[in-house]
Amino acid sequence: MSHELSQEPIATETDVPTDSDGDVMIEVEGLKTYYEDGGLLGGTPVKAVDGVSFDIHRGETLGLVGESGCGKTTLGRTLLQLEDATDGEVRFDGVDITTLEGDDLHEWRRNAQMVFQDPESSLNDRMTIGEIVREPLDVHEWETPQARRQRVKELLDTVGLQREHYYRYPHQFSGGQRQRISIARTLALEPDFVVLDEPVSALDVSVQAEIINLLEDLQDEFGLTYLFIAHDLSVVHHLCDRVAVMYLGNVMEIGPTEELFTEPSNPYTHALLSAIPEPDPTVERDRITLHGTPPNPRYPPAGCPFSTRCPARIRPAEYRDLDDELWNRLNTLRELLSERQRADRSVRDRLRAAVGKDTRFGTVEETYDELFGDLEVPARVQSVLDEIATLARDHNESEAIAVFNEAFGSVCDDEPPAYHDMSDGGHQSYCHRHTDEYRSPDAVIENRHG
Amino acid sequence: MSVSESFEPTETTDESRPLRERVADNPGPARFWLLGTAVLIALEFGRYIGWVYQLVGAVKYVIGLVGLIPSWIGDSVGEATVPIVSYFVSDTITLVLLFGIAVLVTRFTSWSAVDQFDIGLSDRIVRFLERAVVTAILATLAVLLAFTPVGGLVNGTIDGVFNTLSSIPTLTSHEVISNQGHRTPGGGWDGTFLGLSPAVAWGLRTLLVYTYALTVIVWSWKGYTIFRDHYRQADWTPRDDTLRRFRSHYWGLFGLIVVLMFIVTALWAPAVSPTTADQNIASPYEYEIEYLNDDGEVATVTPGAANLGSISTNQNTVGPMSYDDYDRWAPLGTTPSGQNLLTHIAYGAQTSLVIGLLAIGLGGLIAVTMSMLTAYYKGIVDILTVLTSDTIISIPAFLLVMMLSVIFGDHPLAEPLNGGLLLGLIFAFVYWPGMWRTIRGPSLQVAEEEWVDAARSYGQTPANTMRKHMAPYIAGYIMIYGSLLLGGIIISTAALSFLGLGIEGSTPEWGRLISDGRQLVSTPSWHVATIPGLMIVLVVTGFNALGDGLRDAIDPEADTGGADDTGTAAAGGGG
Ligand code: SF4
Repeated sequence: MSHELSQEPIATETDVPTDSDGDVMIEVEGLKTYYEDGGLLGGTPVKAVDGVSFDIHRGETLGLVGESGCGKTTLGRTLLQLEDATDGEVRFDGVDITTLEGDDLHEWRRNAQMVFQDPESSLNDRMTIGEIVREPLDVHEWETPQARRQRVKELLDTVGLQREHYYRYPHQFSGGQRQRISIARTLALEPDFVVLDEPVSALDVSVQAEIINLLEDLQDEFGLTYLFIAHDLSVVHHLCDRVAVMYLGNVMEIGPTEELFTEPSNPYTHALLSAIPEPDPTVERDRITLHGTPPNPRYPPAGCPFSTRCPARIRPAEYRDLDDELWNRLNTLRELLSERQRADRSVRDRLRAAVGKDTRFGTVEETYDELFGDLEVPARVQSVLDEIATLARDHNESEAIAVFNEAFGSVCDDEPPAYHDMSDGGHQSYCHRHTDEYRSPDAVIENRHG
Repeated sequence: MSVSESFEPTETTDESRPLRERVADNPGPARFWLLGTAVLIALEFGRYIGWVYQLVGAVKYVIGLVGLIPSWIGDSVGEATVPIVSYFVSDTITLVLLFGIAVLVTRFTSWSAVDQFDIGLSDRIVRFLERAVVTAILATLAVLLAFTPVGGLVNGTIDGVFNTLSSIPTLTSHEVISNQGHRTPGGGWDGTFLGLSPAVAWGLRTLLVYTYALTVIVWSWKGYTIFRDHYRQADWTPRDDTLRRFRSHYWGLFGLIVVLMFIVTALWAPAVSPTTADQNIASPYEYEIEYLNDDGEVATVTPGAANLGSISTNQNTVGPMSYDDYDRWAPLGTTPSGQNLLTHIAYGAQTSLVIGLLAIGLGGLIAVTMSMLTAYYKGIVDILTVLTSDTIISIPAFLLVMMLSVIFGDHPLAEPLNGGLLLGLIFAFVYWPGMWRTIRGPSLQVAEEEWVDAARSYGQTPANTMRKHMAPYIAGYIMIYGSLLLGGIIISTAALSFLGLGIEGSTPEWGRLISDGRQLVSTPSWHVATIPGLMIVLVVTGFNALGDGLRDAIDPEADTGGADDTGTAAAGGGG
C-alpha cells in the first residue's frame, strides 16, 4: 500500500508543473538506501532513506531539511551514486542512473557534482589548489593539459579567488576560501546538477552570506540546478524555490518555500518551524517541544515515522480526554518497551533476567514510578498499565506492546500515511490528519500547544 | 563560460610552464648545480656503473625466477593430470603474466590507442585490444630471447659494456689509493700510494669516501634549495614545514647521520675495507700478496695462508690499529679465522642493508597495498586481511622466521647471499601484518575524508584515488615504522646467525662475528665480538632516532612556530 501511495506525488507533479519554467530534471521514485553494516552476519540494516519520491526541476533550488541523522545527506549522496540505492529509481533526464555502470556511469558523473560540508576535509592538503581543481578535468581527459590549466585559472577567478593561487596549498587558505576552491572544483566539468551538502554550516557567520551569494550568482550564470541540504532553515528560506522536509528517511512535506514556511501542513514541519526564532516579536508563536529522540533508523515505527514524537498524533477516541502530559509518558513507556524487546534478544540479557538480575533497564516498578508516580492516572488507563506491567515483568515485551497498541494505538501507529495535496502548487504532506475523518494538524496543535 | 571570454587565450602566464622552460628562462643556478653534479659523478663513475650492473643482475635474477613460475605450475598440474596439459597451463600462465606486464606498460606510457583511432568501439574494448597487441609483442620478444641466439648475444653485449665501464678506476678505488704493499728492507713501503704506510693510505681513502659522500649529500640539499628558490612555482609547500621541523630535531638528525654513515659504509664497502672481501674472505687462495719476512726478504704468500697466521684467539691476537705479520693493515684487528674484521663489518653492513631494505620494502609495499584496499573497499577484503594477518601475528615472529628458514633451506631462493635474500623475503612475510596494523588506523581515517568521496564523485578510479588521495598520508607512518623495524630486523638477522640458523658461508654478517668472538671477550681478542656488537647498538639506535625524528617532523601537532608566516599568504583572496 505504501508503495502505491508513494507514487502518487509523481503523478500529480508531472501533471501540474509547479514552476512556470520548470521541466523536470530529476525524478526520484520510491528510493531506498539501506546500510548493511553487519558484515558477513547481515543483521538489520539501517534504513537511512526509506522510500522517498520527489522531482527536481531544471534550474531550481530544492532545499532538503531535517534534523541530523534523518537521512538527508545519504539521500544527496545516493542521487550522485556515491551510495548504492537499495531500491527505487533516480531518473536523470529520463535515464535511471541507479543502474548505470562502468563507462556510462563515468560519463554521467560529469553532470552531477557535490559541494561538501567541511572545507577542512574536502580538499586534499598535499595537493596544490591547481591540482585539486584540475583533477576532475584530468580524470575526464578534458582537452589539452595547457587548456586545463587555463580553465582552472578562470575557475579560480569565477569563484572570487586569484589566479596566482594555483600554486598555493589548502593550508594557506581560510575556511571560506577553501569552500570557494571546493566550489571551483565542482564547476570544473560544467555540471548541470549540484548537491550542496550544508555548504556553509562549517563556516563563520560572516562568511556564510558571501558563499551563499556566490552560489546564487553561479546558479544564474551557469543555469545550475541545486539540491541544497541544510538544517539552517533561515538560509533555506532565503535560497530555495521549494523545500522538502525529511524525518527518519521519509519526506514528510514538500512544497514551495514561501507556502511551506507560512502555512506548514505537516505536524513535523510545524515543530521544526516553531524552533526558528521569530524575527517579528509581535507575532505570537509557541515553541513546540518534541519529546524524546528520533527512533533508531534500524527499527522505524510501523506506521507514520513521526508517530513516536508527533505533537498531533491521532489518539483513540476513548482516551481522547487524557491529559497531554500523560500521553507523553505513555509514549515514553512504549519506547522503553520496544527498546527492551530489542535488547532482550541478546542472550546475555536473557541469562541475567533468568538468574533474577534485572537488565540495565531497571525493574518495571521503578520505571512506572518514574513515569507515572507524579500523575493522576485514571483507573481505566491504570488497568491497562497493570496488564502491561505483568507481561513486562515476565519479559514478554512483544505481548506487552501488543496490549499497549490495542489500547492506546491508532492509525498513526499502524499504517503509513499517504501524501496529500495541500495546494495546486505541488505542496504535499505525509500525514493521516489530512483525511476528512480527522481534524487538521494545525487545529490540533493549536488546541494542544496553543 | 562568460568569464573565459574576458581573458584573451594568449594570456598564458609565466608560471604555468614545464620545468624545462622555467630553467631555460634562468639557466644560471641550474647550470651551476648540474656542473657540480657532473663532476661528482665523474669522480666515481666506475663505481656507479658497477652498482647499476648489480641492479641489472638483480632484475635478471627476478625475471629468471618469474620465468620459472609457468613451468613450475604447469609441471605440477601436468603431474596431477595428463602431462600434455602442463604445456597448455604453463603457456597460459606465461601469457597472463605478459598481459599483466602489458597492462603496466600501457598504463605508464602516455600514448593510447583510444585517443588515436576512432573505430566506434567502446573505450574499454580499445584498451583491451591495445593491451593484447602489446602482450603479443612481448611474447615474441620473449621467444626471441629465450630460444634463439639473440638472447645470448644481447646478454653478452650488456655484460661486456658494463664490465668495461665499471672497471674504470674511481677516486676511492684501491687502484688509485692503494694500501696494499710491503715493507722494504730499508724501512719504507713499497706498492702503496706514494709510498705511504698502509695505515695512512687506508686512512686517506676512508676519509675521502666519507668526504665524498658528505659532499654528495650537501650538494643534493643545495640542489633542492636551488630548485626551491629559483624554479619551484609554489612559494610554500607542506613539505617545507616537515623539513623545517626535522632540521631542528637534533635526536633525529643524529639518527640520520648514523643511518647515512651506515649506508655509505655498505655502499663503499670495498673502499672502506683495507682489502676486498673476495681477496680476504671469499677466495683467499686465488690471490698473492708480498710481504717482508723475518729474514728481511720480500716473500710471496696467498692471503689464505696469511690469514692462518694472523688469527685472533685467546693466544694470538691481531688487535685494532695494528699490522699482522704479513704487512697487512688491520684497523679493527682480525677475526678468529684471521680475516680482516673491518672488511667483515663493511661487507656485513651490505648484507644487513640488503636484507633490511628488502624486508621493509617488500613488507611495506604489501602493508600499504593491503591497507589501501581494506580502507577503500572494507567488507570482505578487510575481513580476509584481518584473518590472514592475525594468523601470522599469532605465531611468535622469531619462531616463524626460524621455521621458514629451515623449511626453505634448500630452495633455490636460499642461494643468493648465502640465504640473505631468503631471509629478507621471510622477514617481509613475517612483518607485513605488523606494519599493516600500524597504518590501518590512519588509512581508515584518511578513507573517511571527504576528498576521497569528492574524487569518487567526479569519477576518479579507485587505484588513482588510493595513490593520490590516501597513500601520501600513509607514507609518513610507514617510514616511521619502517625505520623502527629496520633496527629490529638487523638484530634478528644477527640473532639468527648467532644461533647458527642465518647466513652461513662466505657472506659476511655481523651476528656471526659476535657468535665467533663471544668466548674471547675477556681475552686480548676482545675486539672480535665487541666491535660488531657496538656497531649493531649504534645502527639500531640510529634507525630508532631517525624514526622518532620523522614522527615529530611529520606530525603538524608538534609544530609550535612558523604558522603565522603562511597564514596570511593568501589574504588577497577574500572570502
Ligand atoms: S500521521 Fe499521525 S503521527 Fe504522523 S504526522 Fe500525522 S498526525 Fe503525526
